Amino acid sequence: MIVVHRLVRLLVVLVVVTFLSFALLNLLPGDPVTQILGLSATEEARAQLVRELGLDQPLLVRYLDWLGGLLGGDFGTSYITRMPVGGELAGRLPVTLELLVAAQIVALGLAIPVGVAAARRAGRALDQALTALSFALLSTPVFVLGVLLILVFAVTWQVVPATGWTPITLDLGWNLTSVVLPAITLGCGQFAVYARLLRTDLIATLQEDYITLARARGLSPRRILWRHALRPSAISLITAIGLNLGALIGGTVIIETLFGLPGVGRLIVDSIFSRDYLTVQGGVVLISVGYVVVNFAVDLVYAAVDPRIRRA
Amino acid sequence: MRRRLGLGFCLAVGWIGLVLLAALLADLLPLARYDETLAGPPRSGPSLAHPFGTDGLGRDVLSRVVHGARVSLGVGIGAVLLGLGVGAPLGILAGYRRRATDAVIMAVNDVAQAFPALVFALAVVAFAGASLRNVLIVLGVLGIPSWVRLIRGATLTFAEREFVLAARVLGARDRRILWREIVPNVAVPAASYAFIGMAVVVVAEGSLAFLGLSVQAPTPTWGGLINEGRTLMEDAPHVVLAPSIAMFLTVLSFNLVGDRLRAMTDVRESGLEPVRQAVAAGPPAAAHPVRDTLLQVEELRTHFVTPRGVVKAVDGVSFTLDRGRTLAIVGESGSGKSMLIRSVLGLLPGSSVRDGHVYLSGDDLTTHGPAEMRSVLGRRLGTVFQDPMTALNPVRTIGTQVMEPLRVHLRMSRRQARDEAARLLASVGIPDPVRVLRRYPHQLSGGMRQRVTIAMALSCRPDVLFADEPTTALDVTIQDQVLRLLHRQREERDMAVVLVSHDLSVVARWADEVIVMYAGKVVERGPAAQVFARPRMPYTEALLRAAPRLTDPVHHELRVIPGRPPDLAGLPAGCAFRARCGYAQERCAIETPPLSAQDGDGHRQACWFPLEVAGPDPATAAQLTRPPAAGAPAPENASGVESRGR
Repeated sequence: MIVVHRLVRLLVVLVVVTFLSFALLNLLPGDPVTQILGLSATEEARAQLVRELGLDQPLLVRYLDWLGGLLGGDFGTSYITRMPVGGELAGRLPVTLELLVAAQIVALGLAIPVGVAAARRAGRALDQALTALSFALLSTPVFVLGVLLILVFAVTWQVVPATGWTPITLDLGWNLTSVVLPAITLGCGQFAVYARLLRTDLIATLQEDYITLARARGLSPRRILWRHALRPSAISLITAIGLNLGALIGGTVIIETLFGLPGVGRLIVDSIFSRDYLTVQGGVVLISVGYVVVNFAVDLVYAAVDPRIRRA
Repeated sequence: MRRRLGLGFCLAVGWIGLVLLAALLADLLPLARYDETLAGPPRSGPSLAHPFGTDGLGRDVLSRVVHGARVSLGVGIGAVLLGLGVGAPLGILAGYRRRATDAVIMAVNDVAQAFPALVFALAVVAFAGASLRNVLIVLGVLGIPSWVRLIRGATLTFAEREFVLAARVLGARDRRILWREIVPNVAVPAASYAFIGMAVVVVAEGSLAFLGLSVQAPTPTWGGLINEGRTLMEDAPHVVLAPSIAMFLTVLSFNLVGDRLRAMTDVRESGLEPVRQAVAAGPPAAAHPVRDTLLQVEELRTHFVTPRGVVKAVDGVSFTLDRGRTLAIVGESGSGKSMLIRSVLGLLPGSSVRDGHVYLSGDDLTTHGPAEMRSVLGRRLGTVFQDPMTALNPVRTIGTQVMEPLRVHLRMSRRQARDEAARLLASVGIPDPVRVLRRYPHQLSGGMRQRVTIAMALSCRPDVLFADEPTTALDVTIQDQVLRLLHRQREERDMAVVLVSHDLSVVARWADEVIVMYAGKVVERGPAAQVFARPRMPYTEALLRAAPRLTDPVHHELRVIPGRPPDLAGLPAGCAFRARCGYAQERCAIETPPLSAQDGDGHRQACWFPLEVAGPDPATAAQLTRPPAAGAPAPENASGVESRGR
């Protein structure tokens, strides 16, 4: 029942997301034809583009037509590069995905031990240090952090390259060196969010009767913390992973530009400047749909973590 | 105010004020023009003429940072006002009207929040054109869903408070209620979020500017400056560092101010934190013999040091317990019963100080380290808590939880532990135990869950079972079954049981001995039958009178103990019960009565004027005598004691 309800919501959101992405090109002030061809274009060229874009059709028809293409993986053909947008996106997607996954690994890999340690000794030095650090990290825009990390690690110490990308298929080692700094930059803000959340929830969980009873059963603090307290405390963390994906994806656009990574975000930015609007549209749809679907999946993961929700 | 908000808050406000002033007065300040090239030598470091140095074209970086603040703060303030202006009315409407209005607004809001905001901002600005106005509108609109959510939440909490409900019942007009009751209360969270929202918008504008999609050159923006500066990072890092630091400090300040404003209204964070400091926990325990008995507790004290004073939760409790016996601990809520159990087991929060001795078969548990203690807990001391709904971990199966002590303490294999767990569940009367092992706690009834916790407590064959109000949260019909079960297990295993309860009918039936607690102290103790038949301490008598009985007439007035339990942080001198005692005299206010025996039957009481020893017979014990006058001690009551007493 709950799955059906969420599926319906997912469909509604998907329709709205795709429609808005589509409408961007058509409803906002500014004539796409002029934006693509510039002011000096001839009347014939304009008329031809209008026909090519299907601008002589009603908006809804064009939307449905475009949506039908999307379902078949057809994002249209760029007017600038004359290449299929879908293929271009597919080539860029692995880079962005690797960056996202690596950033999550950095964030969770740091946040779980630090959050647990801080909760175990709440109010002590480590906990206070975490509070201060997470506050500072949350107040550091991702491009500021990125610039600082490049300054320290790539320019001053020269331990990793500042920019550039080696695909994972070419050389794993070089691939990892090219992803490590971007992933840390992107993951730091998430680390702060996750560690704080986990700490707060763990402290609440550790007050529960079943934790006191676990102590009364003579179980070790380590066992209680990791096996008894961590999972019930992970709900907010999982929600945050889903919700923060929006911020993270926004971050990839900047990170990819800053570090020169050939991902979807960089493609969108480059296309904006080359006035390749169909590619921008395709990229925005891809990212938005991915975001919505992942949040849907996160909802389902709850059930796996907390059996109480399965019943609902 | 300053002390409460802290130094950081003041510094943050100061920085925000400074940036705001600089941005407002940018044209009047004695700075080089932001677009004047070769104002100094290109890429020169900080100097007197150019405090932040110059950039690649020799432009003054300080001037560019100050002018960049105009865009950041301008967009920030504009977008926050836009979000507030649209979001607040919608949020108040949703929170106050509820029903359809709420459902529609929140559904739209949910969908709106499902977008990756920055990517959308990027696309919109790309299509609509990068200008101050467009950036401001886009960031403002994207902020609306958060505003709606926040304001609705705040409205909801206040719309249900008594003063708003009262106003509604009195027929006040909605508009009046909204303006006079809701808006002022929502204002504080809104102000807090306005600052956090500023931080969010400044970062978002910076991101757009960094990508070249905010206000266009030649107007400097912080994000744009950072983007320009990074190409010069190798030989002129100050060009990128200056705007980065300015931006970091500004965002940090907005976050800090917002956070402190929120914390100020958050009741949970207002100074209830326990103070951690060692305290001498009363006089050193007198030399005492270690008896040949299963459990011996000597002068146990647990004190909490709080900002309000030292709370003496357990204050010098002693008792002994043999195998095969049940000791009941009774008293009002807050009298220290549960805390006594936790003190014996050493399961106290970090803010407490424990003193005294607990001997288990002659071993002093208070000298055990945590690791040694863990080998006793669970294995020799079993524990059952009051509420079976919270006693089991909701996300682990019954099987995992029952098997865990078997695996950890008795080192059983998985298969052995599973068989033993099934056997244990069967022994506490759970039908189909193999299937129950795979269940989660929420799938079982309260009575079943309590049986599971009892099975867990018994799994390692403990010598003493501590049952802290084991039946209070259960149905009356289940209560009896659970107590029977405890009793039977005691017989079968030759355990000792410590039974905490405020339900005297439970205690009278199952206990061999009883301890009556008041304000952390034992005020009466002795063989159960005798204490209930002939209570000597007026408090025990009042407890017995307050216990409702099934034989009471239907509309019988519920008897209560007059007055309130004392404040443990500031106990008066003398007998703690005297303010509520009908028999209290002058002496009760001066000297604390010791626990003393009347005769050699083990029945002791802490009372200067104990009730008559020759009372009614056990059958009518609970229906003792006349009602004492509530409240202050009165002479005629005192004489009443005289006539009944010595």
